[in-house]
Amino acid sequence: MKLRRLIGFNLLTAVVLGVVGFYVGWWLGHLVKAESIEYFDDTGQNDIALFVAYFTGVVGFLVGLGFANYPVQRLLGKPPSLREKETAGIGRYFGLCTDHKVVGIQYLIGIGAFIFIGGLNAMLIRFELLRPTHLAWNGNNYLTLVGLHGTMMMGMMTSGILGPFANYFVPLMIGARRMAFPRIEALTFWLLMAAGTILMTALAFGGFPTGWTGYAPLSEQSNMGVDAYIAFFALVGLSMMLLGLNMLVTVITMRAPGLSWSRLPIFVWGTITTSVLMVLAAPVLVSTLFMLALDRTAQTSFFNVQAGGSPYLYENLFWIFGHPEVYVLALPGMGIVLEILPVFARKPLWGYRLAVTGMVGIMLLSFLVWQHHLFVSGINGDLRPFYMLSTELISLPTGFIFVCALGTLWAGRIRLTVPMLFALAWIFNFLVGGLSGVFLSDVPSDVTTHGSFFSMAHFHYTIMGGLLFAFFGAIYYWVPKMTGFELNERLGKIHFWVMFIAFNSTFGPLLVIGFLGMPRRVVTYAGYLQGANEWVSISAFVLGASMLVFLVNLVWTQVFVRTPAAANPWGSKSIEFQLPSPVPVHNFDRIPTFGPDPYPYGGIEGTRPVVVPARPTA
Amino acid sequence: MSELAQHSTDYGVVEHESTSTVERNLAIGSRLWASALVFFFFAFLFAYFYLRSLNENGLFKPKGVHAPQGFGIAIVICLVLSATLLYLGAADQRADRRPAWRLKGLGAFAFGIAAIALQIIAWASIGFGPTDGGYASVYLGWTGLYTIFVFGTLYWLETCLALSYRYRGEPFGKAEVAPGDASGDAHREAHDIANPVHLNTSEVSALTFTWTTLVAIGVVTWLVLYVL
Repeated sequence: MKLRRLIGFNLLTAVVLGVVGFYVGWWLGHLVKAESIEYFDDTGQNDIALFVAYFTGVVGFLVGLGFANYPVQRLLGKPPSLREKETAGIGRYFGLCTDHKVVGIQYLIGIGAFIFIGGLNAMLIRFELLRPTHLAWNGNNYLTLVGLHGTMMMGMMTSGILGPFANYFVPLMIGARRMAFPRIEALTFWLLMAAGTILMTALAFGGFPTGWTGYAPLSEQSNMGVDAYIAFFALVGLSMMLLGLNMLVTVITMRAPGLSWSRLPIFVWGTITTSVLMVLAAPVLVSTLFMLALDRTAQTSFFNVQAGGSPYLYENLFWIFGHPEVYVLALPGMGIVLEILPVFARKPLWGYRLAVTGMVGIMLLSFLVWQHHLFVSGINGDLRPFYMLSTELISLPTGFIFVCALGTLWAGRIRLTVPMLFALAWIFNFLVGGLSGVFLSDVPSDVTTHGSFFSMAHFHYTIMGGLLFAFFGAIYYWVPKMTGFELNERLGKIHFWVMFIAFNSTFGPLLVIGFLGMPRRVVTYAGYLQGANEWVSISAFVLGASMLVFLVNLVWTQVFVRTPAAANPWGSKSIEFQLPSPVPVHNFDRIPTFGPDPYPYGGIEGTRPVVVPARPTA
Repeated sequence: MSELAQHSTDYGVVEHESTSTVERNLAIGSRLWASALVFFFFAFLFAYFYLRSLNENGLFKPKGVHAPQGFGIAIVICLVLSATLLYLGAADQRADRRPAWRLKGLGAFAFGIAAIALQIIAWASIGFGPTDGGYASVYLGWTGLYTIFVFGTLYWLETCLALSYRYRGEPFGKAEVAPGDASGDAHREAHDIANPVHLNTSEVSALTFTWTTLVAIGVVTWLVLYVL
């Protein structure tokens, strides 16, 4: 029986088939003959072989997990089905499982692992910057570290909140038992894991010097590590597009009776707006990377100016995806913060419709701002005013979110629990990120600050200060519900305070250092900035250490101590907290009916969702 | 209590899910997928006009680079005929004229395959290569990705046809899959897809919408790459 489990469709089989697939593809790729390939092959570079190897490797990986079984059955006319391995014991966490709660936990651990790797890269970057001249890495290795860090973080965190928390909680919040397309839900996770692994292989092929944006012509001229970057982001794009599509369909069609659009929890609105961006923006990324891959393999000239192409085409297409992606990262964080604040302020969400308007406004405007990333690239100057205005306009709907957050806190009975601390920190961090963003949207100041550590500090305030703080808030808020075990409050508070102080101690000075002229992606810097950089590096190490506090908390409470969590430890009136901890496989015995108010705090009774939880049997 | 300990639930009391949920999921899912498809090819449309307007070094479309008109027209005719047949076939399926649906579905499939075959022949005989400027790049990239999507959608059509053939003896709206047949768990899956024949109607409708959108993109492809 054990042997059968080992050789069945599971992670072990997937890894074996993935590796075999990679080498089969590598061999097949080398069979392709062309003059240009032979030329590059002489230098040890065969991009076709590597792309084919990545493709066959991913196919092997998915086949090993069991993703090919269902399509083959359908090819033979077998009936469609929805579920797979939902009751397969611990093994369901190591393979294709269609239970949205299992997928949520898979996402949390899988993404967490890759974010940890990305964080380690950041520590290495800051180590190098302890000295103004070379310390540990040469220029190429430093750029690869920067690229790996940025690409890993930006790629993985696109699904950082929707993956674990929306997958787990959106079906519960709308009174559904599952996601609309459960296999696609599982596929999105495993694609992301394959992508992360592929990105790590860039190190074996010389790394890549392009940072997370992969700008042409550098990406066209670099070594094979760029192929890993392309394959990674293309898989991330596919994963996030399918994730968004699945979320939207689930929310549109599977809401329980009484749950009209104006009664949706605000986190669900954050998920909807994010999902729209994912469905529409990610395809542009995939197509763009397809073009880049063709340039590197078939010698097309999309981005090659000597042969009729243009690198500006890449930059435009990348940011048509890239700026909505920034809001793919920000909107779920807003949803989480606005979900947490009413619970710990014991007040209804202030300005519910204003908050929804803000999210929808951000979603729409995010498609109209991309060229502010190209202000200093030499684009037509007449385009600048429009994009400056549209970018600055986006601060209006963002302001709605802040107003709603502060309005909810106003005169509330605030409890400073760990999730609440992270939510409050989000308000501060994102405000700093937003205000520094105004300087980058404004053409005159952008000309000065573009490409400096100022812009780097700005987007770390928005993405790390926004998304990652919301991510941790969500962990402390929801993990007891997901696993059934409490997290330690004291360790949580230590984690929060160390992280909050070290984060601001790291990125606050970087705003100044950027203004003083320190450029991004350059391994050396002016000597007079050494003191400031030492301060920043030490702060960054403390920031990294705060993650260890979190890890200790997580492992200690979830693996060793395991204190059962109460069903509703926070006194929340949200539907997921009316269910037992952890939530049963099928969520509800009967589909619940929702009342008119999604946030009935403040003594209003009788408006909570009617939930018939599962009845466990002996 | 660990999560694993809480698996044994009395599924006899669990309220079953209506198959109409799956039908609505397919309908909405196909619309969203169609939206995503449009954005996949928006990137190429953008690339075409961007590179054409820049015409770097006069190399957007050098002399001798012309897409073969005959192939373009033949491909787009195949695609339109395929979409029309599928549209008519979906109506037959809805009206429980399943033999007629299968016939038209097969025709749609055949025309789709013909379009792919013609595209492959066109690539082999176009007389220019990927290195021949911006237009050549856009042509090969756009038609390449488009062919991949056509192939994938034809796979979907094949599954609908195969299911229809497998259940051709079952009365419309009556055929039921025994509990557990759908995905293996006698208790948990009892309310899984209960009626594949009926569901096939929704699936064919969703497929028709997707295919029609893809063919519309194909017509735009033809207009941009062959006519402009």
